[in-house]
Amino acid sequence: MALKNGPESFGIATRSLHWLTVLAVVAAGGLGLWIEEMEVSLATLQYFGWHKTAGITVLGLTVLRIVWHRLSPVPPVLPAPPMAERLAKAVHLSLYACLLAMPLTGWIGSSATGLDTVVFGGITLPAIAPVSEAIEETAFEIHETLAALLWVLIALHVAGALNRAFLHRDATLRRMLRG
Amino acid sequence: MRHLLTRLLACLALSAAPLVAGAAPHAYALETDTSVVGFAWTLGPDTVKGTMPVKRADMVIDFDSAANTHVAVALDVTGAVAGFPFATQGMKSRKVLWADRFPEITFESTAIRPDDDGAEVDGLLTVRGITRPVTFRAQLYRQKGTQPGDRRRLAIVVTGSLSRAAFGADGWSGMAGDRVDLTILARIRREE
Repeated sequence: MALKNGPESFGIATRSLHWLTVLAVVAAGGLGLWIEEMEVSLATLQYFGWHKTAGITVLGLTVLRIVWHRLSPVPPVLPAPPMAERLAKAVHLSLYACLLAMPLTGWIGSSATGLDTVVFGGITLPAIAPVSEAIEETAFEIHETLAALLWVLIALHVAGALNRAFLHRDATLRRMLRG
Repeated sequence: MRHLLTRLLACLALSAAPLVAGAAPHAYALETDTSVVGFAWTLGPDTVKGTMPVKRADMVIDFDSAANTHVAVALDVTGAVAGFPFATQGMKSRKVLWADRFPEITFESTAIRPDDDGAEVDGLLTVRGITRPVTFRAQLYRQKGTQPGDRRRLAIVVTGSLSRAAFGADGWSGMAGDRVDLTILARIRREE
């Protein structure tokens, strides 16, 4: 079980980062949807902290993943029709952009409220934006728009992986599961 | 706080006590260490309690003439606690009390209307630089350990409500309710 990526396979580090990101994105996204609908109370206030914790985890994992892939480049995409390859590449790049921009816009919006951004139950992140209602509103609007876009990109990504696994029967999904 | 009030209420209500001969306007000083401004607000279905220190108070009380009675109080917004850290930050933020710019909340009485059970106190409340007329309910008690008729040390319990929105302090209105209930316990000592 290799840590680094091989010429045709994903190493354990890349696969772990991928699936941990999946978990963190599902947690952050699920909590985000829940927060939008829930009645805020003393009991539910903690979910804001959980959402921020999951979001900052997504950001950390994504940065780590980008750095790791500079050190250990991922294997090339398995052959596919040019259109499908271009689409896959666009979806991948957009996913990375969203995974960076989503937590950052949330962090900017939280900073702009003037309230501390507290994650992992007690770590206060530095403010990365001045206190401003205009910045807060804009950041959270972008955050929500990116959330919708992210769900679409995830759907395309999953559909592409399933298409390759079950229709084209290539190793794309298998090598992300088992290397 | 409740225990304190119970003890106070157990004392003779001064409003029912006979007046001391020779009553005249007397200046009273606030005992800041034992006085507290309590407030309650709602977060969804929950009631959250906070406190705000009194910065200064000028009080002149004439037990014979409400017209000669005057109260002016300033509260220290920067020292307020709203129940839990996020709420305190939110309350002091620009969206609510904007403590950096408006570090004081002030109240000045304009009329006092005594009745059988205390008094209605009309006054001007200034929050975030916005002044609005308000009416609070006040009840006067002598403090524990003092003799009936002794008005050198008193306790005033003031209750009332206000709308945050009326003062432009309407931040996080989707989470926190508009109404704030006040319960103020002011212990005062007559200046000799």
